[in-house]
Amino acid sequence: MMTTSPSPARIVLRHSLGTVVREQTVAIIAALFVALIFVSAFLGWSATSTVDAIYKSAAVYLTKQGMAVPPNPLLAASPLYLLRNMATYVSLIGSLAGIVIGYQLIASDRKAGVMPLIGTRPVERRAYALGKTAALVSILCGLVAFAALVSVATFFILPGFHLSAHDWVKLFGFYAVSGLYMLVFGLLGLTFGALSRSETVGLLIPITAWLSFTFILPQLTSNINPVASLNPVTALTAPPSSTFFQLTGLLLGPVSLAEAYRTLAAQLLDMLPPGFADRAAISPWATLLMALVLLALAARSALSRMDMTRGDYNG
Amino acid sequence: MADHTNPILVIAEKEIGDTWRDRFVLIVTLFLVTAAMTALVVGAIALKTDVTTYNAARAALLALGKSAAVIAKPEFYPLKLLRGFVEHVEIIGAVIGILIGYRAAANERGRQTLALIMTRPVGRIQFLLGKIAGALALIFIGLTGTFLLAGASVSLLGGVVLSLNDVLRLIIVDLLATAYALIFFLIGFMAALWAKKLPNALLVAFTVWLTVVLIAPQIGDTMDPDNQVAGGVFAQLHVTKAQEHAILASFSTYETLRNGIEIISPTKHFERLTFAILGIKNIYTGKALSPILIEKTGDIIWLISVIGVLLLVLLSRPLDPNRLSKE
Repeated sequence: MMTTSPSPARIVLRHSLGTVVREQTVAIIAALFVALIFVSAFLGWSATSTVDAIYKSAAVYLTKQGMAVPPNPLLAASPLYLLRNMATYVSLIGSLAGIVIGYQLIASDRKAGVMPLIGTRPVERRAYALGKTAALVSILCGLVAFAALVSVATFFILPGFHLSAHDWVKLFGFYAVSGLYMLVFGLLGLTFGALSRSETVGLLIPITAWLSFTFILPQLTSNINPVASLNPVTALTAPPSSTFFQLTGLLLGPVSLAEAYRTLAAQLLDMLPPGFADRAAISPWATLLMALVLLALAARSALSRMDMTRGDYNG
Repeated sequence: MADHTNPILVIAEKEIGDTWRDRFVLIVTLFLVTAAMTALVVGAIALKTDVTTYNAARAALLALGKSAAVIAKPEFYPLKLLRGFVEHVEIIGAVIGILIGYRAAANERGRQTLALIMTRPVGRIQFLLGKIAGALALIFIGLTGTFLLAGASVSLLGGVVLSLNDVLRLIIVDLLATAYALIFFLIGFMAALWAKKLPNALLVAFTVWLTVVLIAPQIGDTMDPDNQVAGGVFAQLHVTKAQEHAILASFSTYETLRNGIEIISPTKHFERLTFAILGIKNIYTGKALSPILIEKTGDIIWLISVIGVLLLVLLSRPLDPNRLSKE
C-alpha cells in the first residue's frame, strides 16, 4: 500500500507544536492566561453580585430616608457584561502570550542550531513559514477555544445569566476577535524572532511595541491614563472634547490597535457606554484586519529572508 | 574615578560603563521619557479643555443673568498633571529595573567572566554589592533626569514656577521611584543569575512584572464596586459620600479581600504613596507633606521590606560560576 508523506509545511507544523509546548516560558505565560480566564469569570460574577447587593442595600437605605430609589444600573446590562474583564486580560496577557509563542517558535529552532540543517533539506522557505504560522495559529486557537469553553461553562453554571441566540453569536464573535488580536502580536513575535540578531532584542522590540499600543497611544487619542486603560469600564471613557483629541483620534486612531480591540470587544460584549463615538478615521475592524495583513506579510518576509547558514543569535 | 582599592566601587563603575556603552537601557529610558512627556502634555491639554469649557459655560450663564456659582471652577494644582507620568514610571520604570538587572547578570554569563572575577580577590558579597550599587546609580540617574524634565515641563505647561515644597515632593517621589525600580532590578538580576536558560529569565521576570504591576492592581481596581458601572455606581444611585460609607460598611469582607489583593503589589504601595505626596488624590491635594508621610509610613515600610527580603535572598544564596555560561 502506498502512503503519501506529509507535506514539508505539515512536518514543520507538527515538529514546532511538539517543541514549543515543551518550552517552559510558553507554559508559564499560557498558564497565566488560563488562570486569568478563571479569574475573569470569578471577578465578573463576584463584582456583579456585589454591585447588585449594594443596590439592594442602597434601596433600603434610600427608602428609609424617604428618598427616591433610582433603577438598578445592572438591570440594563447584558449578561455578556459578566465577561468584561476578559477583554482586559486578552489585551494584556493574551497579546503577550502571542508574542512569546510567536518568538519561541522561531527562537527554539535558531538556538537549537537546526537552521543550517533545514537549509540543506528540500524544504522551501515558504513551506517553513507556512508551517510556523500554522503552528502559531493552532496554539492560539487552542488558548482561545479554552477561554471560550470556560465562558460557556460559566453561563451554564451561574444562575440568573441567560444568553439569547444573538448573545451566543456575539460571545463567539468576541472570542474570534480576541484570537485575531492575539495573532497580530504572535506574528510580531514571529517576525522579530526571525529578524533579530540578538535574542534579547528580538523579544524586547515586540514588548516595546505592545507597551506603546496598550498604554501610550490610548493616552494620546483619548486621554486614558495607563492604569485607567486596565479597567474595562474606565478604558471606554469619552475623551475631552477638544480639537487636539479630535485630531489625534482621527489620525492616530487607525493605528491604535489596543483601542480598536477594546472598542470591538465592548461592542460584542454590550459594554459600550451610551453615546460612545469612535473618532478614528477608519472602523476598528479595518484597523485590526489591516494590522493582521501587514504583520502576516512582515512575518513571511522575515522568515523568507532568514540566513539558513547560521541560525543562532549573536547574544 | 573609582577607588581602585575598593572592589565594590570598581564593579559598580564597570557596570555603569558597560550599560552606557550598551545603549539598550538608554533607549528604554528614552522610551520612558517619551511616554512620560506624552502623559504630561496630554494631561495639560485636557486641563486646558476643562478651563475653556468652564469659561464658555460661565460666560453663557452670566449672559443669561444667572449666577456662575452653580458650576465648579476647574482647580489647577501643577503636580496633579503628573498622574499619567507616575503611572508610566510604575509600568516602564519597573521594566527598566528588570532590564538593568537582567543585563547585569546576562553580561557575565554571556562572556563567562564570573569564574575569572572569582579568581581575583573579590568576595561574593562584594561582587553582588558592586552590581547593586552600579544599578542603583544607573536607575537613579535615569529617573532623576526624567523627573527633572517632568518638573520643568509642569512649570512650562502650567505657566507657574514650582515652589520649594513642590520640588521637595518631586525629590521624595524620585527617591521612591528609584527604590521601586530597585525591586524589579533585584527580580531581573536574580532571575538572570540563577535561571538555567537566559531568555527564560527575562520571561520569568516579565511574568512577575505582569502579575504585580498590572494584574494584581487591575483585579483590585476592577473589584471596586464604584468601577463596575460607567460614572460610578454610587453616583448613579445619587448617594452622598457619607451614605456610601454607611452602605459599604456591610461589605467590609469584600473590601478587605479587594484591598488584600491590591496590597500584595509593590506598585500599589508606590502609587498610594506618590499620589498622596503629589496631591494627585483629591483628599491629599494641598495637604502638608509631613502628615502625609506619617500617614503613609506603612507603604514606605512595605517597599523597604520588599527590597530587604529580596536582598536577603540574593545575598544568602551562593554564586555558581558554572551556571554562568550562556545556554
